[in-house]
Amino acid sequence: MYPQQVHSYLQTFFRENNCQILSDNNHYITVQLTIDMDKKIMNRPYYWKYLESTNGVPCPAQLTFITNQNKLEKDIKGEVVHFGSPRLNQLFQATKELGAFVQMYEKVVDKFESRPFLTPWLGVNYKVSYYSDQTKEILHSFGINLMTGNVVEDFQESLREVDFGSVMSENVFHLPYIIKPIRALERLDSVIENIIQHDDHTWAEEANRRWQRDLEVLEHFYVGIENRPECYEMEKKALKEQYESRIKIEIISGGIFYLK
Amino acid sequence: MIIERSSEWKEGFIKRLENLEPWSNWSLYNMSYEVEKNNLITEFRGLQSPKYLPALTPLSHQLEVAETVIERMNGKAILADEVGLGKTIEAGLILKEYLIRGLVKKALILAPASLINQWIEELNYKFYIPAIAYKKSYSLDHYDVVVMSMDTAKKSPHRELIYAQDYDMIIIDEAHKLKNHKTKIYEFVQSLKKKFCLLLTATPIQNDVFELFYLISLLKPGHLGNFETFQTSFSASKHSLEHDEYLRELVNQVMVRNRRQDTGIEWTNRKVQIVPIHFTPEEKEVYDMILELKNVSPVFSGAFSMITLQKEMCSSKEATYLTLNKMRQNCVEADEAEFVEQIIQKLMALETNSKAEKAYEIVSEANDKVIIFTEYRASQAYLQWYLNSKGITSVLFNGQFNKNKREWMKRLFKEQAQVLIATESGGEGINLQFCHHVINYDLPWNPMKLEQRIGRVHRLGQEHDVHIYNLAIHDTIEEDILHLLNMKIDVFEKVVGELDDILSAFKKSI
Repeated sequence: MYPQQVHSYLQTFFRENNCQILSDNNHYITVQLTIDMDKKIMNRPYYWKYLESTNGVPCPAQLTFITNQNKLEKDIKGEVVHFGSPRLNQLFQATKELGAFVQMYEKVVDKFESRPFLTPWLGVNYKVSYYSDQTKEILHSFGINLMTGNVVEDFQESLREVDFGSVMSENVFHLPYIIKPIRALERLDSVIENIIQHDDHTWAEEANRRWQRDLEVLEHFYVGIENRPECYEMEKKALKEQYESRIKIEIISGGIFYLK
Repeated sequence: MIIERSSEWKEGFIKRLENLEPWSNWSLYNMSYEVEKNNLITEFRGLQSPKYLPALTPLSHQLEVAETVIERMNGKAILADEVGLGKTIEAGLILKEYLIRGLVKKALILAPASLINQWIEELNYKFYIPAIAYKKSYSLDHYDVVVMSMDTAKKSPHRELIYAQDYDMIIIDEAHKLKNHKTKIYEFVQSLKKKFCLLLTATPIQNDVFELFYLISLLKPGHLGNFETFQTSFSASKHSLEHDEYLRELVNQVMVRNRRQDTGIEWTNRKVQIVPIHFTPEEKEVYDMILELKNVSPVFSGAFSMITLQKEMCSSKEATYLTLNKMRQNCVEADEAEFVEQIIQKLMALETNSKAEKAYEIVSEANDKVIIFTEYRASQAYLQWYLNSKGITSVLFNGQFNKNKREWMKRLFKEQAQVLIATESGGEGINLQFCHHVINYDLPWNPMKLEQRIGRVHRLGQEHDVHIYNLAIHDTIEEDILHLLNMKIDVFEKVVGELDDILSAFKKSI
């Protein structure tokens, strides 16, 4: 992420979370946090506990973030934020928490159609991580039609061009779902497992080979010793933790979508 | 295969379906997906960490080390770059990479007490890794990345507290302190679980090849076989290495070492010379009388005390006097005490110190900042007095100085004094790139100590050629030391790799 991308990320993040932007230059931004945002990112629970128990006047923080220090013309005091900085990671985490569940309705503009109707879909974004002594991650985005059970891939990308609203429009007919969202979720869970099963797992075999080789080396050290010391078991355990392959499936976000 | 899944999202989703909690905002939903996509680790190989560290520009050899250790050595390695090439940066890159990839959650860094603050600063400010220095009152449960001194770690109750944690990565700085497998610290590290582990040392061999065996056996027991097989194949005699090539290859599987000249950075030259010195007849007489001592009294029959006395006599009469005087008290027979008394009288009557004169000569010719390393406190004090009498200002430096005093002395040296006189223990943890003359007034037994000393000035940031003067008095024990140093350097080079010049520009073959 370049400084400019970080900057627009901050703009959108605070705007969408109703934090007032007090001043905005290309290379720094000053925001007034809301009470909720202060509690989320300022890490001062005792202040808020104190305030609430004494009925004091809340005074959420004002923050200045510098997104490109090299281009500052004046002497600005503030926190330097860049890709990799702890603050940005914290905001990424907050974004993840605040953007995990949606219910959206496609906007219908066609006035000639007598009774436009929208079909319910469940969309789920999965992150699959492969771990051994190395890591690899893959994103999968699926949508499942809650009327037909039809599953499509790259669902998130297909929503890019769609204009959504967050409330039902009056004169549009919303089909009720036949498949319950939770059942649909279970279907998608098995789809993802199936994909994982058919994926290329050479990585796991290779990690296993590295593991076996290191085990042989370890055995070599203790060859001929009958009562092996505690650190032998410790080494074996460490090798297991180092090389054992495991897969993590995580849902990062998802929701109900009513689409034409 | 283990598949881990979490029902966290599902539970949150059910709450929304039942209208117990509000749905999220569409922009944040999209932003969140974009962030995930941006931060995705799409490949098993390659380094993710540099893109998270825009403020840090690692040198190419540092990036290469990080990649090699992760991809070829599976995260267990000895980082053995020459002094001053940035082993801390390499370790930081590797740790950061594993943190980003989610393979390391908790890490323990063991370092000499004098380097703890430097580690904390580098990890926090260069790598954004929230590391803390261990304090007795802290609970290790609450801190993921902790820096601790080896001396603290090996003692109760800290040792047990560390064992109770589940560290994914152990980093040990100045790992040559683990060369002796009979020490408490070795035992401590041996019993520690080492999933990923980095041992940092510029000097993996200091005296003999067994030190390397024990170091590697900590990291990867069995890699060099067990002790018996290693002993039979690699050490018929200590210094003759039969399977040099083979051993070297095994070592290279777990060790990365960059030399200054491999880094592609332009290094200033290192001009090393041995400066031979001749005793005055009076000095020589005292030296020879000291040699006689072992024939005169059983008090002096121990090899160790004799060697000490000879070395001290090559350094200064002040250093010699302290030891000699102490030993005189152990003499029982009157004639023995008499002989020692004679030596002391002759010693105290000496008016010249040939070596100190030579040192003064070098200092005044250099007409620049100079560091003098000596092994003895008494010689250190004497040299300061002697140089002062010649109108040369100097400051003293000892390893026992705390951080403030070190910084203060360094500043005094930089801004006011011409000479810094350091004892052996002052060798680690100070960087003095503004100086480019080093006098090894006394020679240590261990060539790596010389390398550590030179490394104080010949490191990244040095802009001038560096001059090293190794003083050795002709026809004394110092010539034996030179010979032994050469042999040890030879062992190091056969197993570990070439060394930059330490003793002199002309290598002796043995």
